[in-house]
Amino acid sequence: MKALRAVLLLALAAAIAYFLYRQILQPKRVAADTITVYYCKADGETLVPWKVTLGPARDRKSVAFYATAQALAGPVPGVEAIRFPQGTIARSVTIAGDTATVDLSKDVESQPGGSFAESGEFKALVWTLTDLPGISKVRVLIAGAALPTLPGGHLELDEPLARSNW
Amino acid sequence: MGILSWTNRWPARTGKLLGAFALGLVLLPALGFGWARPAAAQAAAKSFWFVGTNLIFAKAQNRGGETAVASDDPGLGRFLGKLGASLSYDPGQRYVIVTSGDRRTIVFTLGDARYTVAGVTQSAPFAPYQSGGSAYLSLTALAKALYVLPVEQGGATILQPQIGDLDVRTQNSVTTVTLRSALPVKFQRVSAAGDERLVVSLNAVGTSLEPQREVSGSAALHALSLQPGGSARNPTTTVAFEVSPGTAHALGASRSQNELVLAFSNKVALSGQPVPANGDYGSGGAAVAVRAPGDLSPSAPTNEYAPLPADVPGHEALPPPPLQAAAHVTSVDALPAGDALDVRVAVSGPVAYEWHRLSDNRWYVDLRNAVLDTPARDDQPRSTAVLSLRVKQISADADPVVRIALTLASPRHVDVEPAAGGFTVAVGENDDGEAQRVGAGRIASGAVIANALPIAPVTGSAGGPSDFWSKPTPAPPAPIARLAPGTNPRLIVIDPGHGGSDFGAEHNGLIEKDLTLDISKRLRTLLVARGWQVKMTRETDVDVFAPNDSAHDELQARCDVANQAGARMFVSVHINSFTSASLNGTTTYYYKGADLALGEAIHRHLAANLKTIDRGVRKENFYVIHHTDMPAVLVETAFLSNPSDAAYLRSPAFLQQVALSIADGIGEYASNSPQVNVSPSDGL
Repeated sequence: MKALRAVLLLALAAAIAYFLYRQILQPKRVAADTITVYYCKADGETLVPWKVTLGPARDRKSVAFYATAQALAGPVPGVEAIRFPQGTIARSVTIAGDTATVDLSKDVESQPGGSFAESGEFKALVWTLTDLPGISKVRVLIAGAALPTLPGGHLELDEPLARSNW
Repeated sequence: MGILSWTNRWPARTGKLLGAFALGLVLLPALGFGWARPAAAQAAAKSFWFVGTNLIFAKAQNRGGETAVASDDPGLGRFLGKLGASLSYDPGQRYVIVTSGDRRTIVFTLGDARYTVAGVTQSAPFAPYQSGGSAYLSLTALAKALYVLPVEQGGATILQPQIGDLDVRTQNSVTTVTLRSALPVKFQRVSAAGDERLVVSLNAVGTSLEPQREVSGSAALHALSLQPGGSARNPTTTVAFEVSPGTAHALGASRSQNELVLAFSNKVALSGQPVPANGDYGSGGAAVAVRAPGDLSPSAPTNEYAPLPADVPGHEALPPPPLQAAAHVTSVDALPAGDALDVRVAVSGPVAYEWHRLSDNRWYVDLRNAVLDTPARDDQPRSTAVLSLRVKQISADADPVVRIALTLASPRHVDVEPAAGGFTVAVGENDDGEAQRVGAGRIASGAVIANALPIAPVTGSAGGPSDFWSKPTPAPPAPIARLAPGTNPRLIVIDPGHGGSDFGAEHNGLIEKDLTLDISKRLRTLLVARGWQVKMTRETDVDVFAPNDSAHDELQARCDVANQAGARMFVSVHINSFTSASLNGTTTYYYKGADLALGEAIHRHLAANLKTIDRGVRKENFYVIHHTDMPAVLVETAFLSNPSDAAYLRSPAFLQQVALSIADGIGEYASNSPQVNVSPSDGL
């Protein structure tokens, strides 16, 4: 009887481990090998998609983080694009429902004054993230805090951004 | 969409799994997941010599003889910062992404020894792993991707910046050589200016590239050599270019400050400037804004246009009267400025004020709930503009009031302007034409509504000298929080973008906040002349809410001005800028559906009248047009970062043309809008 109980417990533990593996680590995998990242051309209007090969991590959170970092880095050097200020990084990317929350570093504030650049930068970021399935909105935080706009800025950031904002 | 599909949906009941997830985290190492901290890693702080400093990686670990650096190690932050690079990592996921100074992306994945540099796969000595919330990477792999080579010397390790890449290509008889460096390029030309053979020496970078390279397919350049020099700590690299007779060389266009581009040809003329004796790409980028206040005073009166007359009363500078303690007037100073006079009033806190212009050249302002802490005065300031200045506590009981009164030598424009620690009563130029009309106004701080309602004219002489100091009329009622848009169908609110501590954009010696105010004042003059009531969110170089306030307070304060007054329209005036000087043109932004017709009308006139590029009417979620209740637009007049637009912006004629176009657009919109029941000039 004792042995049977031990076997049952072991079987249960194995089942839990398998469940965790399936539900926590595997379920959010992405099937494709590439994602589409957008940048905004210097005309401020044209969004240009380009394909970026994914690394081996395909879980949803990793892919969203990867897409964000690629959008922040922008296209290869030499391509004239509206770019986030140098040094702008993603501190974190979290997904809840259809909204991705992107926490950017303070470096994003280092280019004050231009509504033009703000618009192009965030348009590219929003298009990139909402290209991932299941994500339709992007909430922007700066250094962990929700701000209504960038300091001295124009574009409203206190509500999640969507493609329909433009 | 549709490029990807998650093979499984994220379970909806995430919360229920959190406990299991915590358990899972405990189990992960046991399950053998590769990116958890390997047992072999040992903490071992390391220090390296790097560009003149000793760099300490306090959180470094030893991973089989290789140095593993933590993503959040302050030493790594300094290393990346010096190289203009940045690192993104979030412990909840598996990518570590580094962006180099020249915007190449370097992607590491926890648990995978392969990494990519600008999409090209490389192999690291070990797979990155996670430990204590940090990602650990191979320093060698990361440094190599950033063109930095660890060099051992006398027991110390030097992280030596390198020329990491060299590219030669020939097109249309021009051979272009691109050298990519870990640091912003600094070089000296070693060869003489007229020499055909070019030799340049690059500072602070070594090289491990092939020392000799034959160039094929180029008539101009047949070989080049790279010669490392200096010491391990202070390296240099000398690059010599062997050219055919008759070859000219020039600087090419580099894509980042980490690149040196040189062009050679013996067949065609080169467009770039000859290679200078020395170059320093890191010392001053083209996009660095230089503030040069002396270069320009856009708000100074110009001869080209008449001085800007006052608007209809619509002047509010301080917050509504406080319910708490009275404010203290601590000093009143008369500061003559040529023919004009500034009366500086220092106040300890917010105060409501109300000014009156009487028809006999007397002007006074009452400060409500204010106590005079400086002696009362009655004297003649050293100014030809003012015959007397009187300051007195005219009521001291429950409703203390301080009155500051001026007797003007002639009809003059008097403005109350907020200033640091109080406000300034500015007595300006002669103002014959406007005196009577403006004199009919009465303003009270916070009581915006009073400005927008029809104005009761002050009777010819509002009492003689005897009752001049009598107790003032009761304070106006508290402001109404918000009126329905269009409650005041003749009122237009103009919002001069930025101001005070917020300079807006700065380029080419131009400052956005000054230009927006200049255009707005011109627009106000035009609209007033056409019978509109105008209220400006600011009339001087100030923050609308408070200096160094949050963007939200500042922008909401601008919206509040229009919303509280029930204005018919809201126009925000801005000047654009961009990091690239090539961008130019005029854009009108709208957000709400109700904004579009106004935006189109204004833009039609801007596009027709201005010589700038027409960038069209565009939708954008800009705060001030979103949070205003009435039709609202934001005009980005031109790019001050663009030389030709900047030249326009220096011209008063252009600024006047902008104001005129906006005024014409407002007029067109008003005459087309079905909501207009009141002609703008009714009642004025």
